[in-house]
Amino acid sequence: MSELGEMLRVAAVGYLNARPLYEGLDRSPASSRVLLECASPREVARRVAEDEADIALMPVAAAATIGDLRLARGCAIGARGAVRSVVVVADRPIETLDELAVDLSSRTSVILARLVLRARNRGREPRLIGAEPHDAIASVGGARGALVIGDPALEIEGRFAHALDLGLAWWELTRLPFVFAAWCGRAGALSVDDERLLEAAKREGLDRREAIADAHAEQTGLPPASLRAYLREAIRYDLGDEERRGLQRFYDEAAHAGLLPRTTVRFFDDDRRAAAPTPALDTLLGRAAEGERLSAAEGERLLAQGSLFELGLAADAVRRRKHPNGVVTYIVDRNVNYTNVCTTSCRFCAFYRPLGHPESWVLSRGELAKKLQEVVDAGGVQILLQGGLHPELRIEWYEELFRWIKSEYKLGLHALSPEEILHIGNLEALDTRAVLERLRAAGLDSVPGGGAEILVDRVRRKIAKAKCTSEQWLGVMRVAHQMGLRSSATMMYGTVDTPRDRVAHLVKIRDLQDETSGFTAFFCWDFQHERGTKIEAGDHGTVLYLRQQAVARIMLDNVPHVGASWVTQGPEVGQVALRFGADDFGSVMFEENVVSSAGTTFCMNAEGMEQRIRAAGFKAARRNVRYDWLTSPS
Amino acid sequence: MLEAIADKVKRGERLSFDDGVTLFRHPDVVAVGQLANGVRERLHGDRTYFNRNMRIEVTNVCVASCLFCSFAKLEEHSPGAHTMSLADAWRELEVRMDDPPAEIHIVNGLHPGLPFSYYEELLSGFKRIKPDIHMKCFTAVEIHFFAQHYGMTHTEVLERLRRAGLDSLPGGGAEIFHPEVRTRISHDKATADEYLEVHRVAHKLGMRTNTTMLYGHIETFEHRVDHLLRIRALQDEAGGPFQAFIPLAFHPDGNGMRNMPAPTAIDALRTVAVSRLLLDNVPHVKAYWVSMTPEVAQIALRFGADDLDGTIVHETIYKAAGSRSPSGLSVEQLVRLVQEAGRMPVERDTFYNVVREYPRATLPESALKVRDRKANKHLEVLS
Repeated sequence: MSELGEMLRVAAVGYLNARPLYEGLDRSPASSRVLLECASPREVARRVAEDEADIALMPVAAAATIGDLRLARGCAIGARGAVRSVVVVADRPIETLDELAVDLSSRTSVILARLVLRARNRGREPRLIGAEPHDAIASVGGARGALVIGDPALEIEGRFAHALDLGLAWWELTRLPFVFAAWCGRAGALSVDDERLLEAAKREGLDRREAIADAHAEQTGLPPASLRAYLREAIRYDLGDEERRGLQRFYDEAAHAGLLPRTTVRFFDDDRRAAAPTPALDTLLGRAAEGERLSAAEGERLLAQGSLFELGLAADAVRRRKHPNGVVTYIVDRNVNYTNVCTTSCRFCAFYRPLGHPESWVLSRGELAKKLQEVVDAGGVQILLQGGLHPELRIEWYEELFRWIKSEYKLGLHALSPEEILHIGNLEALDTRAVLERLRAAGLDSVPGGGAEILVDRVRRKIAKAKCTSEQWLGVMRVAHQMGLRSSATMMYGTVDTPRDRVAHLVKIRDLQDETSGFTAFFCWDFQHERGTKIEAGDHGTVLYLRQQAVARIMLDNVPHVGASWVTQGPEVGQVALRFGADDFGSVMFEENVVSSAGTTFCMNAEGMEQRIRAAGFKAARRNVRYDWLTSPS
Repeated sequence: MLEAIADKVKRGERLSFDDGVTLFRHPDVVAVGQLANGVRERLHGDRTYFNRNMRIEVTNVCVASCLFCSFAKLEEHSPGAHTMSLADAWRELEVRMDDPPAEIHIVNGLHPGLPFSYYEELLSGFKRIKPDIHMKCFTAVEIHFFAQHYGMTHTEVLERLRRAGLDSLPGGGAEIFHPEVRTRISHDKATADEYLEVHRVAHKLGMRTNTTMLYGHIETFEHRVDHLLRIRALQDEAGGPFQAFIPLAFHPDGNGMRNMPAPTAIDALRTVAVSRLLLDNVPHVKAYWVSMTPEVAQIALRFGADDLDGTIVHETIYKAAGSRSPSGLSVEQLVRLVQEAGRMPVERDTFYNVVREYPRATLPESALKVRDRKANKHLEVLS
């Protein structure tokens, strides 16, 4: 093993209140054992989820989402009563608020706020409005309040007529401490000695609280005395039996409300005494069928251990609960690729050609007009317009194209995957929002979810080095959703990805969906390994496809629709997939250049789609991109 | 409804006609498949069979005019009509002697102009080339046609062909037994009783045979159940010489029922599952990949089927009717299909003696682990 391999990879949220726990790890003797990095809450959780860090000081909601993690006893960021840095503020009594502006990515605090407000208000809670922290504060007024977290909360102490300290509110509700964050890792990640290092770092950090507060005061201009008191009195760094009860209470209530997967608090040292109990697989599936949220760890278990039938029946139960009408939809649209020129050279792609290649092309208006007229003639309602990353097509080209399409044809424009939007942004030095604003003004209706592949960067680097990172892909979708655009989400598995990667992908989509509710549907397929592609196939097979789709339906509890990818799996398997959690049959097929250049070619018209939907025991209805029915189900 | 049937299945009790219809009608094909899978696993565990076989259709000239057929040509001189010379037929094997099949599966049209000796020589010629080759040839419909056409009894036909090298009978030609259907789709070839009688005679001579059902055209679920129960009855009577039942999906291209939709994959899985549940005395149910595509056949291995048939090499009958399955699959492809279904591949001979066992996939039902694949470990065992 390399020296690096023997180091304990530690990630910590770099916030003021966390410093007393992690700063000591950078000094000897811990520094020879520990590789410490600070990052955002989302990032530290991601590192543990994707096995890039052994432990992380992470928010407790993130830990529950990953699932089956262990906590280091003794160290946490918590409160026993008022915490000061997690508050709901408003101009009028908190109980009378209709709306609450929140940073939706701060999941632990958001869930705490929701639980507290529901409990104080007989189950009623304000509508959540996603906003950046300072926008949230600025938007407070009338029936709208804001949830404010961290330094901004300390900055605005006393500014609003009404403020609810959520640490205090939790204490009043439960008479228990609250735990916001703790050291978390997979079972076996910490030895007894490692735990001692964490405790030693904490002891040292607690002694240095005043210096830490003063340094932060210097940086931020906040009053030093207030910060000293904050670290000394408001924040509690213990994680003992009482804190465990407080955290368990939080997990139980959040799970009961459907906000987090069911979670049992378990310390690393618990494992040294007794093996962790694991629920039976059918218990998990039964819970999922009832609508309970599963953790990533539980999703991995389903993929590894669930039988085809168990997964299929559970996914079908989820489908039935979400769509009790027994309707399977499909859309009459056409996939049009405007160019095969692309600069990314993804190793799994057989479609692209470099600029100037004799086989490269950009679709002319004439060719496009012919294709669009065919769509209209076939009763189509939209086109799915995608292409390679052409280095010379400027945003004006897209704008003109969109305006022309919208003026000439009554078709929805489902266009440009995140990768293309980022590419245009780079070319024009515009941010995502600006690109999307201009394209929407020109006629863009919705964003296709292509190019997601596997939203784990270790995988992306191997198969599509030049492509955007997972965070960038999700970032484009976040902005699009915030602007009111809807999108689909996809997954292409079966290259170098592992079952853990595939579940991590699903959970990232679910997390973003919690924030934005902008995803309409999810589709997955396996890598089509044929001529022209440069990578070996990984996990494959029809049975795996059905299992994977079923697990997606089970995990993606907040995504309304799951579609069967008959274009890649064939009409036969696509139909079978309707009994494994899908409630949509995708699109009729005029043409689809990318998949077909890798050797897969299937065709199906509306009649064929409806026949197969009915033969699978469902009613068929045509839909638009928002999944509204355009025909009555029959 | 399903619970009562599930209880019977659990107790090993025989299912009734009404149970069969209920199973076909049940909206949740996955639940039906799960029941059938239980029976399949009780009988065979994870073992999933295939063999190295080769199909040859020596003539497509056929006096019968079955509505569902896209293969047959009425006369030798019709466009597309083709009859192989004996030498051409034998060459199919000769050219493959470096990696020969273990079984030759011959199915033909009912040719009015060939002498009986053509068939005898056909068989003996293959045996000359490879004495241990298994000849699984001529459907009951062909045997019946030979008896009529050449003025012999079924027994005489079978005895002469056996002397020439015939080893077993394939199951084709069963179509749908019920006269309401059979008289409309296959009015001028062996009746149900005649088909079954040929098998009965073959069984008495000590031969083993397979049997089939062509589903998904004009028949009802009741007709399917009736068909399956007639097979079950003959199997009871003869003490088990049917080795395998093979459901065959109707394909509509280029035949007299071209306006009908083909049965879908859901119907294929349902039919495999219900067949497995009703045919409690037939050891094997095949997922004939030529009929249902290799992809759906893989799923069928979890819906009651325990056999994929074989390498086939060169199939023309389903091809003529528009099937998009490949003409043949390699042993490697068959092994992978089985492993990806999480099952254990077993290469067999025609009588289900084990030729070779392959490792099952390591993950339950999922594909091979990436690193195994990269190391081609699943292929290593083949070479």
